[in-house]
Amino acid sequence: MSCEIARRMSETNDPALAQHQRSCPSCIVGAHARYYEAPPTLERKIRASLRREAAPSIPWRWIAIAASILLAVSAIWNLTLLRSRAAPRQLLAENVLSAHLRSLNGTHLLDVPSTDQHTVKPWFAGKLDFSPPVKEIDGFPLLGGRIEYFEGHSAAALVYGRRAHAINLFVWPSAAAAQESSQTRNGYQMRSWSANGMTFWAVSDLNQAELADFVSLFRRN
Amino acid sequence: MAMDSARKLALFEQSVLPHLNAAYNLARWLTRSGADAEDLVQEASLRAFRAFETFQGQDARAWLLAIVRNTCFTFLKKRGDQPAIEFDEQAHTVADESPDAESALVNQAALGSLNNCLEALPLEYREAIVLRELEELSYKEIADIARVPVGTVMSRLARARKRLQQCLEGALR
Repeated sequence: MSCEIARRMSETNDPALAQHQRSCPSCIVGAHARYYEAPPTLERKIRASLRREAAPSIPWRWIAIAASILLAVSAIWNLTLLRSRAAPRQLLAENVLSAHLRSLNGTHLLDVPSTDQHTVKPWFAGKLDFSPPVKEIDGFPLLGGRIEYFEGHSAAALVYGRRAHAINLFVWPSAAAAQESSQTRNGYQMRSWSANGMTFWAVSDLNQAELADFVSLFRRN
Repeated sequence: MAMDSARKLALFEQSVLPHLNAAYNLARWLTRSGADAEDLVQEASLRAFRAFETFQGQDARAWLLAIVRNTCFTFLKKRGDQPAIEFDEQAHTVADESPDAESALVNQAALGSLNNCLEALPLEYREAIVLRELEELSYKEIADIARVPVGTVMSRLARARKRLQQCLEGALR
């Protein structure tokens, strides 16, 4: 008798089944072989690992994108710093122009309004650790002076007039003699030079020729 | 599309985890080691969970057992256990069990050796017997799980029964 027949007999309670079961190895296995049940710890372990697996994964893609953006911004920032370091003169020119614009926009053009160089020069004496050359120049009346601040130290600002235009002449002491330069920035004329251990920057909205005149007259005196 | 992961987990726990005993029993009989069976069932469960999208709502127990079986076979092969079938099964179909085994195999001594005899069976025979007699799967389901034709399942079962009978008789002698 085959086990398959026995199986069918078991469904109909055939008495011949008992005899068969005793001699049929398959039936013995089905009835008597050990059935190993999973240890209870196993189910707990599996449930825990399933939860870990199903937990929302860390969005590495977005972290990577954010990191790339940060890196790019930092690279640009560093490049910008590097370029501004590579062109300190350009940076200084910016600062000088800003000081000029500030002086015109606000009310702070003059700390010492005077057309007399003998009034203006002594006024600086108490406030600066150097003595700027203050000159009266034909055609460019002296209007006065004030204190500015460049490159970590104080600077004298001498203000001259020409019709309705103002000229700021910034002066501060510097060890290294700077190159002479002449440039136009945002429509403003700027000239710089060194003399007697001092750096000079002249800025104005005058035309190029008149500012050049002013500079050569100032330097000649 | 991908299932919402919380829903997937709930569905998986509800339809597949009830068959952990079957999974463990199969792994335990195939590997003959409780510790290996635990590891492999855990691994197989994770695999099943990852592949849960492919589950089409067929019998979850047979589906899980197929994954457990493959995990176990991969493990055993890596460990160097060779499939122990010596000759072509299809060509040598044995007759069914000897019709009139007079000896009553059922007694305490025989039962004691029954588990040993089952463990001593070659892997593929053991697999077939366990799935057929302990899990009561159909020939077709066993064929799908073992990835062999139904005829091979039948001949494996016949050989397995023959060997079991011989083993048990030997144990009683």
